[in-house]
Amino acid sequence: MHQLTAAIRLTRRPRLFWLRALPLLARPITQTMPWAALTTGCLAGTGYLTVMAHIAGTSHSPLGHSAVRLAFLPAIAALAFVPRAPFRPLTHTAPVPAWVAPAGHIALAAPILAVTCWAQLRIVAHTIPPHTFGRPPAVYPLIAQLTAWCAVTVAAAACVDRSRYADLGGAIAAPASFGAIALAWYAPITARFLAVPPATPHGVTIAWYAIATAALALTYVAMRDQWHRYSRNLRPPGIQYPAPRRLS
Amino acid sequence: MTGGGPALHGADAAAPVGDHAQAARTTRSRAPRLRTVLSLGRVEASRLARSPLVLAGLLAGGVMVWLTIRSPEPLWWNDGWRIGFGQLVLGMAVLAAAQLAAGRARRNAMADLYASFPATAGTRTLAHMAGLAGVVPASLLLMGAAAAAVQLRAAIGAPGVAVLAGGLLLVIAAGAAGIAIGTRFPHPLAGVLGALALLLSSGQSHLPWAAGLWLYPWASFSDQLGSLPGPLAGYPPAGAHALELAGLAVLAGIVALAVTASRARARGGLAVAGIAAVAVICLAGALQLRPIPTPDLNHLVSEVADPASVQHCTTASRVRYCLYPGFGSLLPSLEAPVSAVLAHVPAQPAQRLTVRQVVSISFPDAVLTHGHPNREVSRWDARVQRAPGNRGAAPASAIYLPVGSWPADGGQLADARFDLALSAADWAVRIPLQASGSPTSQVFLQCVPLGQAREAVAIWLAILATHPPAGELQAGLGAAGGFAEVRHTLVPTWNYPGTGYVTPPGGGPQDTAAGYLLASAMTSLPEQEISHVLAGAWGRWLNWHTTDAQLAAALGIRMPSASSTVTLPSGKRISPAPGPGNAPQNPLCTS
Repeated sequence: MHQLTAAIRLTRRPRLFWLRALPLLARPITQTMPWAALTTGCLAGTGYLTVMAHIAGTSHSPLGHSAVRLAFLPAIAALAFVPRAPFRPLTHTAPVPAWVAPAGHIALAAPILAVTCWAQLRIVAHTIPPHTFGRPPAVYPLIAQLTAWCAVTVAAAACVDRSRYADLGGAIAAPASFGAIALAWYAPITARFLAVPPATPHGVTIAWYAIATAALALTYVAMRDQWHRYSRNLRPPGIQYPAPRRLS
Repeated sequence: MTGGGPALHGADAAAPVGDHAQAARTTRSRAPRLRTVLSLGRVEASRLARSPLVLAGLLAGGVMVWLTIRSPEPLWWNDGWRIGFGQLVLGMAVLAAAQLAAGRARRNAMADLYASFPATAGTRTLAHMAGLAGVVPASLLLMGAAAAAVQLRAAIGAPGVAVLAGGLLLVIAAGAAGIAIGTRFPHPLAGVLGALALLLSSGQSHLPWAAGLWLYPWASFSDQLGSLPGPLAGYPPAGAHALELAGLAVLAGIVALAVTASRARARGGLAVAGIAAVAVICLAGALQLRPIPTPDLNHLVSEVADPASVQHCTTASRVRYCLYPGFGSLLPSLEAPVSAVLAHVPAQPAQRLTVRQVVSISFPDAVLTHGHPNREVSRWDARVQRAPGNRGAAPASAIYLPVGSWPADGGQLADARFDLALSAADWAVRIPLQASGSPTSQVFLQCVPLGQAREAVAIWLAILATHPPAGELQAGLGAAGGFAEVRHTLVPTWNYPGTGYVTPPGGGPQDTAAGYLLASAMTSLPEQEISHVLAGAWGRWLNWHTTDAQLAAALGIRMPSASSTVTLPSGKRISPAPGPGNAPQNPLCTS
């Protein structure tokens, strides 16, 4: 018995051993990344904004930050399809934690979204005449807002991935995120803190980053959740199975 | 368990694949195929009706309808179109759900398995189309609930059947578009992007070509329906729009079938049907682009520029109430605050007060006047600019009530009643309607009854008549109130948060914080005592030279002092300084 325990102790791997496997994981993570969906979403919004900028240019009516918010929605929708962990029961048995792949996908998506945001802001800036009276509105609250929207979407996708609707993924997470965003944006209680005016740009920025932080914390919890869920009872009637046990 | 037989009644045995498929297809009669379509359609309808996306869309649509109809005056010709925006939200959800259903086989990599089923891809697509019947109850429920809510708010006018039917067709068309997308693009993102495209196409001011506003699936918020004094034929062109949506639904269905059809004959038939659908859509578009008939617009211009020619006037307590036909139900809620104010006034002015509805509408708007010569539009616009409520030189004994501004119920109605009572009280104490500039110009500054006793009397009368919450009154001070510059002196002002429901000609006076504070202090005294003091020297209190301090002394109370500092949102308190000497200033209310 003592020999067996000693053998187990010898074969037990250190807690963060999988960090060493990250370089090896980079390639499969990059290959399984839903590039097509993310690129489509980013390009769809940017294309829409380009058309709107062209119309704004011909009608001499500059675009505002609202146009960026609208144009960023397709990218948000595409992001909802990124944190996906297929074959989770199988990946649970692998030595590397199951959340590494979706987390890697999110990390890969971040620069794409940042570039999309930058491009869209540039497009809007081009529609503003050079000698416009007054200062343009600050960009940093908008960036905070879009960051929070992304974080909320990732959190929704991570939660949906651990639900019975996991196979639909973003198709559920995207509308859920849009609903949450609309509620936060339009509900009088939350709009006092999240919309300029009545809130100040600094206040709005802090509020949106706080939401982003909370959403990322929720994402962390959802991704590390190891409990198996099944969409429905697959037992044929009359057959009794022992109660399912939680896997540790 | 199906016992090895077909899972659905009417489904034939599995069709052989390969070269035998054609032979098997020819032996299959039409009747069993129809039964298969109906059976599959029933299943798809059931799944669609229970889809969490559709249920969430129904909820979101209901919330959207409520948000859009709760604030403005309930007018059926406006609210009917707003209900359609709720249907648009439901339609977005239906589009995404239908796309998921139609793309199920390919998304789950089951296309080969499905190909071995007796029902062909075309049959399944037809079944998906039939399954759209599953969202009809949701759409009807949304329509019925919204209509009941509008009717419970005592809406003026009658519901437009074509507008409401258009909402239902919009949901079906969105579902058909979702099926067309799903048959070609099975990835769920395609459905989400399709729903977003539907939303963006029905947005607002960013849409190009204003004259073609009604061609978009459900254009929202870029119309002037809420300001019309009655329904205007062709605005919106509801029947033609419903026809367009029906054509779009059929076209989307044909596209979906064309993607799945394999036989050349079927494709030919679909092409013919598609051309017919496009023709119907074009016809509907042409009908929607027809200009509104000139006689109708002439009548509207007359209603706006010369409301007395069409309005019904009623006199009560020596006050005339002139309302457009159909708006008679507003009379009790207008009379109550005005009568309550006048009941406390010792002597009314000789000139009779008129409360009149006015219309604030823009005629250069291409959605309204497209297709008419510019000269004609300019002539209409010039007439409208001279309408009551727009022109500066209006009679001082009138209060204007813009159509669409009077709320139906709740806290907003209480605010509106106070606003009307305050306007009536300003008239009763003879505060003149002086201002620099006009309401339509860039610089418009109302007169300020600085330090005048009659201002406090007017506010006290309005408070006495309507009893608004003290908290709301207090909210008009500080940062919300702001400052007015009178004779190079900054004066703290008081802006009641519920103002803007009525427009006295010239905009009415700008109340001061000192006037409100004195009126607030007066409410703590017995009403009879104040009435006695006021009635004893009514003419003196109406004189603009009589100060609020003199009124306070006569009432035996200390004159409250208004704070000259303002608290910024950051919490910092500042004392604003007057602007440069040549800055525009508010005039003093004299006479």
